[in-house]
Amino acid sequence: MIREGLKPDIHFFIGKGGVGKSTTSALAALYFARSGRKTLLVSMDPAHNQRDLFEADFSEKPKKMGQNLAVKEVDSDYWINRYLSETREQIRKTYIYESAFNLQKHFKVLQFAPGLEEYALLMAFENVLSHGSDRDVIIFDMAPTALSLRFFSLPGVSLVWLKELLTLRDLICEKKEIISKIRIGSCELERDRVKQKIGTLTARHTRLQQCFADDATHVHLVMNADRLSLSEAVRIHRQLSDIHIPIDRVVVNKLKTDDGIAAIAERFEPDRMSLLPMAANDLVGLAALQAYVEVQRAVFQGFMPARRMVN
Amino acid sequence: MDSMIEKFKAKAVELWKSADVAARGKASDLLDHEVGELENIFALLVLGVFVGLPSPPVQITLELIPEMERELCLMISKVATAHDPLGELFAALGID
Repeated sequence: MIREGLKPDIHFFIGKGGVGKSTTSALAALYFARSGRKTLLVSMDPAHNQRDLFEADFSEKPKKMGQNLAVKEVDSDYWINRYLSETREQIRKTYIYESAFNLQKHFKVLQFAPGLEEYALLMAFENVLSHGSDRDVIIFDMAPTALSLRFFSLPGVSLVWLKELLTLRDLICEKKEIISKIRIGSCELERDRVKQKIGTLTARHTRLQQCFADDATHVHLVMNADRLSLSEAVRIHRQLSDIHIPIDRVVVNKLKTDDGIAAIAERFEPDRMSLLPMAANDLVGLAALQAYVEVQRAVFQGFMPARRMVN
Repeated sequence: MDSMIEKFKAKAVELWKSADVAARGKASDLLDHEVGELENIFALLVLGVFVGLPSPPVQITLELIPEMERELCLMISKVATAHDPLGELFAALGID
């Protein structure tokens, strides 16, 4: 199981590139840590802005940043290469004529296959959760919109394919059983390993889908008060609604004036909006981030929602 | 005399068994061919990425491929008969 025993609260910060997802997630992480909750901030954005914000180097291994806070960066290349080498090893073990297919040639190209990047994020997500039972809060600073949406929709898309493949596999197994009965008078067939694997994958993707829709999972949409940002935020909200993932809070970041707030309030519930004013100075370094959190404490209190936005 | 009867019985049993195997084989040959076709479709669905067909998310292919050596063999052997699908079908149906 991905989320056995005590469940940490999971927070995703998603939104258009450049709206301030990394800063908002770092500030929220600092708020949770300062309020005594053991917090892990995970950078899933390939741009990895957290290292610039905290002025520190991060890696796959969580690094402590003061009391109650640790930060880690997901290295998607590491996960892709690890996964491909495990699959290659598995093929070596199970294939009799492995070399005849020249599959190794394909594997060199497969690391650039479309779809593998979001799968790498999904594997990293599962890994964080399986090691995160000692945390109270896990915050994910997500990649820009397109990759994030593919990440969230991957379990659902995979389940559609797996269902179709299982139907076909069931038919194959059924007919093989009939052949076995006719030829040798019994049907003691070895359990179909492909069918078993499809079953394992189905269970895994179902768990991930449930995890995204879980009450302890909160998706926050970060945006700026401009028209482009609003248009993309509306599209993100609609696409997440299609896959039954609700939005918890809409964070309007880098606010200079009240211009644009009314237009946002027409599209999103006003009581779900968190307004973060533009900081007077650059939000770089632990001290500057903590000072901002202290001033905007009331805004960050709102990141523990009791109910979700109706889709 | 007894040994002759025994020999005859053994031959008869052997003949019966051979006839039974042949009959069972004939009865299931067509079904076997159908299974081969279904497995080829399954292989094309999962491994289509290798021959330019629309395919499932790449991780499903990669998760299943270690268990699909038979399907991979089948898919490749089908390439050899792809130019004459009717010939293959007639052979399966026993039409000369």
